Amino acid sequence: MSTALPEKAVAGSNILEVKHVSKFFGGLAANSDVTFTVKQGTILGLIGPNGAGKTTLFNCITGYYPPSRGEVLFKGQLMNGLPPDKVAKLGMVRTWQKVRPLAKMTVLDNVMVGALARTNHLGVAREIAHEQLKVVRMDHRTDRLAGGLPIGERKKLEIARALATKPEMVLLDEVMGGLNTAEKDEIIQLILDLKKRGFTQVVIEHDMKAIMRISDRIVCLNSGEKLAEGEPREVVSNKDVITAYLGEAIE
Amino acid sequence: MRTPLPLPPKPRGVAAMPLVLGGAVLAVLAVLPLFEKSPYTHHIFILLFLAIIMGEAWNVLGGYTGQYSVGHAAYFGVGAYVTMILLDKHQVAPWLGLWPAIVLSLVVALVIGAITFRLRGPYFVLASIAVAEIFRLIALNWKDLTNGAEGILLVSLPPLVVGGKTLLDVSAMPAEQAKIPFYYAGLGLAVVVIAVNWAVQHSKLGYYFQAIREDQDAAHSLGINLSFWKNLALLISAAFTAWAGSFYALYTGFIDPNNTLTTDVSVQMVLICIIGGIGTILGPVVGALVVVPLSEGLRANFGQVHALVYGILVVLVILFMPDGILGFVKKLATRRPAPAAPTAPPGTEVKA
Amino acid sequence: MTVFLQSLISGLLVGGVYALIGIGLTIIFGVMRVINFAHGELVMVGMYITFFAFSLFGIDPFVGIVIVIPLMFLFGAFLQKTFINRVLNALPQNQILLTIGLGLVMSNTVMLLFTSDYRILSTSYSSGSVNLGGISISEPLTISFLITAAITGALYWFLIKTDTGQAIRATAQDRDAAQLMGVNVRRMSVIATGIGAALAGTAGALISPTYYIFPQVGSAFTLKAFVIVVLGGMGSVVGATIGGLIIGVSESLSAAYVSSGLKELFVYVLFLLVLVFKPAGLLGKSRM
Repeated sequence: MSTALPEKAVAGSNILEVKHVSKFFGGLAANSDVTFTVKQGTILGLIGPNGAGKTTLFNCITGYYPPSRGEVLFKGQLMNGLPPDKVAKLGMVRTWQKVRPLAKMTVLDNVMVGALARTNHLGVAREIAHEQLKVVRMDHRTDRLAGGLPIGERKKLEIARALATKPEMVLLDEVMGGLNTAEKDEIIQLILDLKKRGFTQVVIEHDMKAIMRISDRIVCLNSGEKLAEGEPREVVSNKDVITAYLGEAIE
Repeated sequence: MRTPLPLPPKPRGVAAMPLVLGGAVLAVLAVLPLFEKSPYTHHIFILLFLAIIMGEAWNVLGGYTGQYSVGHAAYFGVGAYVTMILLDKHQVAPWLGLWPAIVLSLVVALVIGAITFRLRGPYFVLASIAVAEIFRLIALNWKDLTNGAEGILLVSLPPLVVGGKTLLDVSAMPAEQAKIPFYYAGLGLAVVVIAVNWAVQHSKLGYYFQAIREDQDAAHSLGINLSFWKNLALLISAAFTAWAGSFYALYTGFIDPNNTLTTDVSVQMVLICIIGGIGTILGPVVGALVVVPLSEGLRANFGQVHALVYGILVVLVILFMPDGILGFVKKLATRRPAPAAPTAPPGTEVKA
Repeated sequence: MTVFLQSLISGLLVGGVYALIGIGLTIIFGVMRVINFAHGELVMVGMYITFFAFSLFGIDPFVGIVIVIPLMFLFGAFLQKTFINRVLNALPQNQILLTIGLGLVMSNTVMLLFTSDYRILSTSYSSGSVNLGGISISEPLTISFLITAAITGALYWFLIKTDTGQAIRATAQDRDAAQLMGVNVRRMSVIATGIGAALAGTAGALISPTYYIFPQVGSAFTLKAFVIVVLGGMGSVVGATIGGLIIGVSESLSAAYVSSGLKELFVYVLFLLVLVFKPAGLLGKSRM
């Protein structure tokens, strides 16, 4: 099992290209002709009302299922049809909207599972795991069972676990959902730090203030289609975007 | 969910205890036949070892990786039948015939894995049962190969001859001693399987297997090739199950589709693990220590009731101790509050 | 050609009874998402009740259904309340193990009480047959098919037209939503299991004139029931009906054209093929 790190994307290049991606479930178009590009080292905010197809898009991008139409290119390489484990090995990793801790394993073991994508040695994996847990400030909780953690720590654990796979790009799916203000601030700080360290991120979030703070660009989806794309200020004051959110409380 | 109280730090040196204890137990078992001469006692221990081997083997796939196969009898049967057929029809010595049996079980495992691993949860269980039944029906109907329902009877075990010298001839041994070679073979194999389980748990395999068990999709997204690792777990599990089947055939001297390929056999393996505690190294040992004496004790007094007992045990364990005896004990142990730390009211989080 | 028609017809007749078994299983699954591995044993219990009603009291098996249905319904309800209800939120693997255990207890208790001797229920018409244009149709199978059709019809009526039946369907479709709408889902689970057991027991009663009766006879039915339910789609009553007929016919045809010993093998292979290629069943309706 190859644990070697793949070639890194060139700084400033288009690390992720989503081209006319559509995803159909029976007759329902969960994603419809979505196109956008993410530049290496930036943060893309992905917003839209519930059911807009944001998580579906993540699933298509990371290989959970293939897009029905269109192409996903990561570092210039076609990703359609690649399974999630290969996607992760190539350097793109995601977190889940509903957290998925490996419940009966400890915090440390959870992150080690991520680390083992890049090494076959438990000792090395353990070190990597400790590092990442330090990054999310959970290094003191290593022996807790993941299933018994409160929601804030589960979210942080999932990030640490994803980071342990040494990705270049991280897709965060509503990582601030259910957190209090202090916890959200911690996550925002973490996201900004990750950007400083060179990671590329796509962040699905409902908290508009948070999205405004972190995003370099924003894409808004509605009913599976891309509604708007551009600088945060532009998108958030876009009439269609506001209309799409009416009927939903805007934070 | 109530926030659990902080665990007391694990004292150093505790890890050495199990090894010391294990070594002591092993030493006792190694010399037991010198003191205990009763063939019936040897027999009980052999059954115990067999149960441990079958349980530990199943544990790799079912306990660690979370793939509950209730059709492991297929591998048991392959091991038993290949060894016996080679011996009975082609006079291949069992210590040689064992290896083709294991190889064939690996091939069979790969085929079965390819078919069934795309299925999840209960569907996987159903498929595993169906596969084992197919094997049983093949064994029942392919009379030229397997003697069908009549089964294969071992006339006598050939002597172990190495370089012209006869090292071991079980058929020439007096009845009181004839079980002893099986005792040591069983003990040795049980130690090996336990060691394999330990090695798995303390390696990348263990981490990946358990990740698959806990959440397949999450594991997949973390770089784990589900198909590869599930099949790896299956291969390890199948190989040792087949070995157990081979051992069983040679020891009891008679196999038929009914005692090697039925769902009863498969359920037994699962039972040994869940009684003791799934996904632990010693769980199957505990399970064997419950199941074997119970079933033997009942057989002596009540005849063919062990299947009924298995059924009752399964029901009781699932209802009241789904984590097995070891899991139950662990729950009792961690419920005790930390001696020095103040008791935090439930719901508050202890901030570091 | 006659061989083909003969097998086809007897396959359909047996398939009707299989359908009853499958419907019972699919209702239990549909309402509780529990896979009942003891379903074949419920058939077996029905067979034994019928056998003893006949041999001790001379009650005709088809008449005996009047006793079997309420008795098995109560038995199913008992099983649900005492055992199955406790594992509704457990891992599906554990639920399966529980029902496997229950099945083992049932078959082995019967074996202890009544020995594993094969029993035969011989009525005056057990080997009777009706001759229809050169094709010989088994009399008991014909009667059982007619009764099966009647019961299935009554069941459909119950599920579609009555309040309780609709409540059961609601629970099967979305347990939480049904509960929010005032359905007593716990009670529905008990009733569903009762119905499932009653159907299984009735199937046992219906085939008792034509099958050997022994404690282990259940296991073949359990697996067959699963094939039927997977074929028709887990939770689909219509699917189970059609699935039962398909299995009856395939079994009959393979017994006629391949070998009687291998007909079960054929069914299991079919099962694996469906699981692998069309897990949602031939009708495509699945809740898993």
